[in-house]
Amino acid sequence: MSQIKEIKTDDAKTEEKDWEEYLKGYYEKPNSFKTWSGLDTNGIYTPKDFDQEKHYQEKVNDAGQYPYTRGIHANMFRGRLWTKREVVGIGSPADTHARLKYLAEQGGTGLNTIADVTYEMGLDADHPWALNEVGLTGVNITNIKDMETLTKDIPLDKVSWSLITAAPSATATMAQYIAVAQGAGYDISKLRGSVQNDPLHFGYCGFKPASPLDLSLKLGCDIMEYCTMNMPKWYYTTVNMYDLREQGITAVQEVAYGFGIAMCYIDELVRRGLHVDQFGPRFSFYVACHIDIFEEVAKIRAARRMWAKFMKEKYGATKPNAMHFRFAVHTSGCSLVPQQPLNNLIRVAYQALSAVLGGVQSLHCCSYDEPICLPTESSHLQALRTQQVLAYETGVTNVADPLGGSYYVESLTDKIEKKIEEVMAEIDSVGGMYEAIRTEWLDRKLEDEALLRQKEIENGEKLVVGVNIFKSAMEKKTPLGVQRVASESGLQQINDVKEQKRLRNWDKLMITMRKLRDDAVAGKNTLPSMIEATKANATTGEMVGTVREVHGYHYDPMEMINSPFHFS
Amino acid sequence: MKNNKQIKVIITKVGLDGHDRGAKIVVSLLKEAGMEVVYLGMFNQVEDIIQAVVDEDADVLGLSYLSGEQLIFTPKIVKEMKKNELNDVLLIVGGTIPVEDIPLLEEMGVERVFRAGSLSGEFIEYIEKNIKK
Repeated sequence: MSQIKEIKTDDAKTEEKDWEEYLKGYYEKPNSFKTWSGLDTNGIYTPKDFDQEKHYQEKVNDAGQYPYTRGIHANMFRGRLWTKREVVGIGSPADTHARLKYLAEQGGTGLNTIADVTYEMGLDADHPWALNEVGLTGVNITNIKDMETLTKDIPLDKVSWSLITAAPSATATMAQYIAVAQGAGYDISKLRGSVQNDPLHFGYCGFKPASPLDLSLKLGCDIMEYCTMNMPKWYYTTVNMYDLREQGITAVQEVAYGFGIAMCYIDELVRRGLHVDQFGPRFSFYVACHIDIFEEVAKIRAARRMWAKFMKEKYGATKPNAMHFRFAVHTSGCSLVPQQPLNNLIRVAYQALSAVLGGVQSLHCCSYDEPICLPTESSHLQALRTQQVLAYETGVTNVADPLGGSYYVESLTDKIEKKIEEVMAEIDSVGGMYEAIRTEWLDRKLEDEALLRQKEIENGEKLVVGVNIFKSAMEKKTPLGVQRVASESGLQQINDVKEQKRLRNWDKLMITMRKLRDDAVAGKNTLPSMIEATKANATTGEMVGTVREVHGYHYDPMEMINSPFHFS
Repeated sequence: MKNNKQIKVIITKVGLDGHDRGAKIVVSLLKEAGMEVVYLGMFNQVEDIIQAVVDEDADVLGLSYLSGEQLIFTPKIVKEMKKNELNDVLLIVGGTIPVEDIPLLEEMGVERVFRAGSLSGEFIEYIEKNIKK
């Protein structure tokens, strides 16, 4: 008996101790009072932090009124909801087309395709390096037939299509899209969409050999110039602040570096004789929304105000829509972790909320399996549903800039603006963004910041559930399954490309390739001749390679294959 | 286990995968932990990697995958390691790897997989305890 009693007593003791352990969090306080980017906050903000009476008109103003801090449209989402635009790119052009169609059927409102790494590098599917990689991270488009397959039965004059690709293959992408549209009889001035043509940032996405700076800038600005003259509804660049942010930099650096890059393009377009009122209305940005809700909203508001001022005061814009900071948001992929993966759904929902509170024009929500694999059909749908719950259930669409006038958010907007100015002055001091990239000043910044972010997690300064707090055993399987890219998919694409190359009329191809080469030599805009070359079945690698050679680079970024063309 | 000799690690990207933020962070953290690290960077094919392991006489080979190519390249690397009698090199993998792939990779000959979100303490301790030379 006594033995049993003793055991019971011990059990009770253990239990008592555990409960104390379990509930020690009852009195817990947050571990940090800094924003995600490390800005200090006060416990409360008051009229002392933001004087509405004095500053409203000048610094904030109503949505739709300069400096557009509260939004670029007076009625914001009452006029039109944001575009629900999930990124798609998987396997062959046909596989990608199928997923695009599926998401459109489920209520997606914008099409969005991403190139695979081979296409981004400007490598044809039959390139030796492409063998194991075609279709793994996106879609490979080598020739016009691929673009036809991707766009099959889709009314290009009715939809809005975002083409995510890298430089300088973006010029081939644009040529392929235009060639297909023209072939199908569409008036290209009616096409609506965007191309992620941000030539200076692609060195930071792993494409350095394919993206020499001078060539990338030249070809990128060819797209911008051509679209300004011929495709008035097309967003010819989306300056990709998102990719930079994902390297580990702060919200402040994201905007400062992005603006630095954007100004390189504006300077070049002005040098080519265009006025900012002509091209300004179709300039756009790709912005990250990380996990700190108020910081992201304040960042977006500061960016909107600063951009309007730059365009008006620095570049002399007079048209209001040339002063608008238009942006799409990609929720933060690098904030998502494979540990306890369903938590990512929650993270994405908060990030999407901050994008919408910030007045986003177009949104991609990451799928919860972002740190695991390409999205499965179910996880892709879940990401779209995250947007739809936000849009149709929560009431966030009723009012423009609902956080405007918050002492905290207004004060944080001011603070972030000031910090962005400081970083921009730093960029100026190294000779502007082109120099900052050329001299690898930016590389060093990105690497240093990435390590700092990791250390913040390592030392517990930043908490990530499942990573450094509330950890649990590794899950046995991925909740909604794993997306695989069938190897047959890639092999089929490679064989198709070889077959297309074999079947084409070489004489017709040579005429267009010679024209492309001559235009490149003469320093003319290369897009018109790429469009014609595409129609004659020239490939991505051939077009970009030919222009590379003119600029003194090896035909092949990987320096393995030589040009099949003999021009002299 | 080594007797106080500095551990030598090769970290590399494989193929065209351009996501190198994680690999570079791992390189810095291993260096801070006192290891000698050779980072091969991007755009390495299997033979480049094997050659580097031989030339550097590395104790550890770390492969970073973030584009879904782990099941394609790893068996090729393992095969070449065997051919070159690199059985005493500790092979580890990091990146965006589905849990379903971990047993597959281990069966191929990978000793340990560190998914995104792993903390440096885990992999530093693992390497220190498990090197074979």
